Amino acid sequence: MNLKYLWPARRRAEERDMREELDALAAIAGRQELGNLTLAMENARATWGWVWLESIAADVRYALRALRSQPGFVAVAVLSLALAIGANSAIFSFADALLLRPLPVPDAAGVFDISSTTPDDPFEGISYPDYRDLREKSRSFTGLLAYRLTTLAAATDPASPAQVRFAALVSDNYFPALEVTPALGRGFLPEESDARGGGAAVLSYEFWREYWGDRPATGSTLRLNGIVFTVVGVAPREFTGLDQFVRPSLYVPLAMAQRLAGAAANPLEDRGQHNLVVKGRLRSGVTRERAQAELAAIGAALEREYPKTNHNRHVAVRTELDRRVEQRPQHLALIKMLMGLVGLILIIACSNAANLLLARARARSREIAIRLSIGAGRLRLVRQLMTESLLVALGGGAVGLVFAYGGILLLQTLSVPSDPPTVLGVELDWRVVAFGALAALASCVIFGLAPAWQTVRMDFVPALKDGARGTGGGRHTLGRDALVAAQIALAMVVLIAAGMFLAGFRKMVAAAPDFRIDHVISMDTAPALLHYTPQQTMAFYRQLVDRVRGMPGVADVAMTEALPLAPAQTFMTVVPEGYEFPKGHEKAIEFGAAADAGYLRVMRVEILRGRAFTEDDRAGTRRVAVVNEQFAKTYWPQQDAIGKRVRIEGEDGPSEVVGVAKTGHYLFVNEPPAPYVWVPYAQHSRARMTLIVESAGAPSEMAAPLRDVVRSIDANVPVFNLRPVATLYESRATGTWLQLLQMVGTMGLIALALATTGLYGLVAYTVSRRVKELGIRVALGAGRGDVVWLVERRGLLLAGAGIAGGGALTAVAIPMLAAGFHGVESAPATVYVLAPLALLVVCAVASYVPARRAARLDALEALREE
Amino acid sequence: MDLLQGTLEMLVLRTLRAGALHGYGIAKAIRSASGEALEIEFGSLYPALKRLEAKGWIASSWETSEHNRRAKVYKLTAVGRKQLLREHSKWAEFVRAVGRIMGAAPEVKG
Repeated sequence: MNLKYLWPARRRAEERDMREELDALAAIAGRQELGNLTLAMENARATWGWVWLESIAADVRYALRALRSQPGFVAVAVLSLALAIGANSAIFSFADALLLRPLPVPDAAGVFDISSTTPDDPFEGISYPDYRDLREKSRSFTGLLAYRLTTLAAATDPASPAQVRFAALVSDNYFPALEVTPALGRGFLPEESDARGGGAAVLSYEFWREYWGDRPATGSTLRLNGIVFTVVGVAPREFTGLDQFVRPSLYVPLAMAQRLAGAAANPLEDRGQHNLVVKGRLRSGVTRERAQAELAAIGAALEREYPKTNHNRHVAVRTELDRRVEQRPQHLALIKMLMGLVGLILIIACSNAANLLLARARARSREIAIRLSIGAGRLRLVRQLMTESLLVALGGGAVGLVFAYGGILLLQTLSVPSDPPTVLGVELDWRVVAFGALAALASCVIFGLAPAWQTVRMDFVPALKDGARGTGGGRHTLGRDALVAAQIALAMVVLIAAGMFLAGFRKMVAAAPDFRIDHVISMDTAPALLHYTPQQTMAFYRQLVDRVRGMPGVADVAMTEALPLAPAQTFMTVVPEGYEFPKGHEKAIEFGAAADAGYLRVMRVEILRGRAFTEDDRAGTRRVAVVNEQFAKTYWPQQDAIGKRVRIEGEDGPSEVVGVAKTGHYLFVNEPPAPYVWVPYAQHSRARMTLIVESAGAPSEMAAPLRDVVRSIDANVPVFNLRPVATLYESRATGTWLQLLQMVGTMGLIALALATTGLYGLVAYTVSRRVKELGIRVALGAGRGDVVWLVERRGLLLAGAGIAGGGALTAVAIPMLAAGFHGVESAPATVYVLAPLALLVVCAVASYVPARRAARLDALEALREE
Repeated sequence: MDLLQGTLEMLVLRTLRAGALHGYGIAKAIRSASGEALEIEFGSLYPALKRLEAKGWIASSWETSEHNRRAKVYKLTAVGRKQLLREHSKWAEFVRAVGRIMGAAPEVKG
């Protein structure tokens, strides 16, 4: 074969030349002399080697014609596949957003995550001094960069109020190490890592567009936490930062951290602040293992040199995917479950399409037999049939992507209301399209090959005698029976899994919130962004609480460091006295927050023993703490927690437990019970607190007056996350789960619909094949009921076989699908009863339709039918 | 007389050694060189020409003949010349081997 003939123009030129040559010869010798020129040309074309190409075109034309003649078949097959491919693509895009999408940098696979691990926390960051040492001493990376996410109050001009924005404080080599070239201007210069210089900032593309439109931003200034920064560059559009759900608006040198925070000490000189994210691009030829070994050695040297801050601290090099999976195993569990369900649906759809093709192949057996008997190559016929399958699969893939797009629009509404906004970037990008195409191709191979193979293995002599309407009874449909039974079995697995998750999620959605959500509104403020000292901050909050308490319509006021179920929770490193840690561990990291005396009261968190904080728990009095029941159970089992003491890292002395509160949910509604510790705000100053206001009327009406109160104290203090607590609760506790409920429910319905279609198709087909036999039965006196039962029995037998198989499969598949889910352990008994019952009913109905048609047969007509 | 399979291409190469010819000319040349014994179908000769051309053993070009007629003529390439030598010795070997088996033609008794 000659590749140049793939080019159609080239083929046409060759063809023209050949005709011209033969015409010339005919003029010389006479057409008679030359004999059969058509054959000569045909054979000559064969030597050019594009015959195969034209035969493919012919295959496609023929397949299209064959498919057009059976629009019903095509519609059902395409729709089946489209539903499955659409569901798979949508879930893939979800998985992509949640877990799989690579970092938005060139050659993302070469970028590795470097973090420090301790026995108590496998995911700690790295302190700046440690980062500096790693960067200087390691040879495995072309560049090691460090950054930390923060929020900054950004104002483009001094007059307008500042907006809270996500920003990344980055090392000077951030952009070159990632091989990201700014779209405008430049990245940072090494001298800009010197804090004495003026501030330089790089904008995200989105932020630039939002504020500058298409005016060049470089050279203009903006105020961040009140400090003037000069814009030196704009990041490219595709670079949205290194975090999955947070897209920083700004990039600022780490060297500015101290001035931005208004801190007395430089955080970059503190080896104990392990809070930087470090990433590095591996030098070519260096393996992850070698880099890991090298950094581990440097880490060990640092541990020897600085035992105070680096005791038991090791350096880990992970791939980006490993980090995400290890850090958020619940995402992996969710994706595995969803992908598992849609994978089953794809198999059902494929066997559905295969079944339809098999039925068609039987109906076409006479045509195939004739083609075989006049010498068509079997391989050629397989190719022909596969072309048809491929067209159906591609049609299914194309329509499936339309469905996927709908699903993705739905998934895009999955988000947490937060200010500044976080994103779950579910998008229909080329990777989703590629996935859909791949799924279509795979399904074509799965469902197309078997029917094609069966067709051409056919013995054509009996097929010719038999005709298209052979009396072929059960024996011939054995394979198809098995396929339908398998579909029903798989559908049952999907239904039971869906039922299980529905029941589990419903439990969470229906569970009463374990804190108050009605008539409360919350508001975040960040006076520290304006360089308030801790004393000023405390005074600000005291003033805020006092003024809000005096507002009309306010029933009560409280403050906490972290609102339950808010996506950002706070933690404390604790050492409960008297608790024996497992070997190698010496402390634990638990949920913890500073709260004022009103918090547990306003949020209606029940105190089981002891007391809540009071106004008397002040600075200077005995340090106290309130723990939840889970905390008490974990660290002081079978003892009274009241009076126990707990050391909190960063505090001078231990705190005494004065109360035990009821355990609630703090980050997710499906989390297992987790320990929590509260300390009084008056004893533990914090830079940023959340105000909770209990209103007499609708909480949303408090929003504007609250904003005014803050402005009356200091107009420059940014206000954010101002919203009714119920809004947050609904999105975090019910919204996400409701959407998951919808997703899983839809999958169950799709599986049911596909399996039913498969069964209906098979039973209807059998009836059409047995018209003659049924006619004879009716002629011999069989009643309508007998005929209905004859057909119905077959459907029910298939359903029974499928349900039995599904029962066995469920035992294996369900634990795999549910692995890693808290609150979804096993399906309630009702699901195990309802799912088979639903299948049985639907199957009975699906086979009743053709059964009734069979019973209405006119015996005479049926006998004449050929 | 029918041709032995695979010999047509060899005959074409041999015929073109004498000089360039158009397609029909080649058929005529083979016929006359065999003393009218070999009847070459143009229908099978033409694809053979295309095959040889694809292999690069012969090359074609448009030329104007003595009677002022345009025709596509074929001539042997250098590679084709070498191939002809190879085919020639293979053919000679084949004839010797078959001759040894068959011997002289048996007398047919009347």
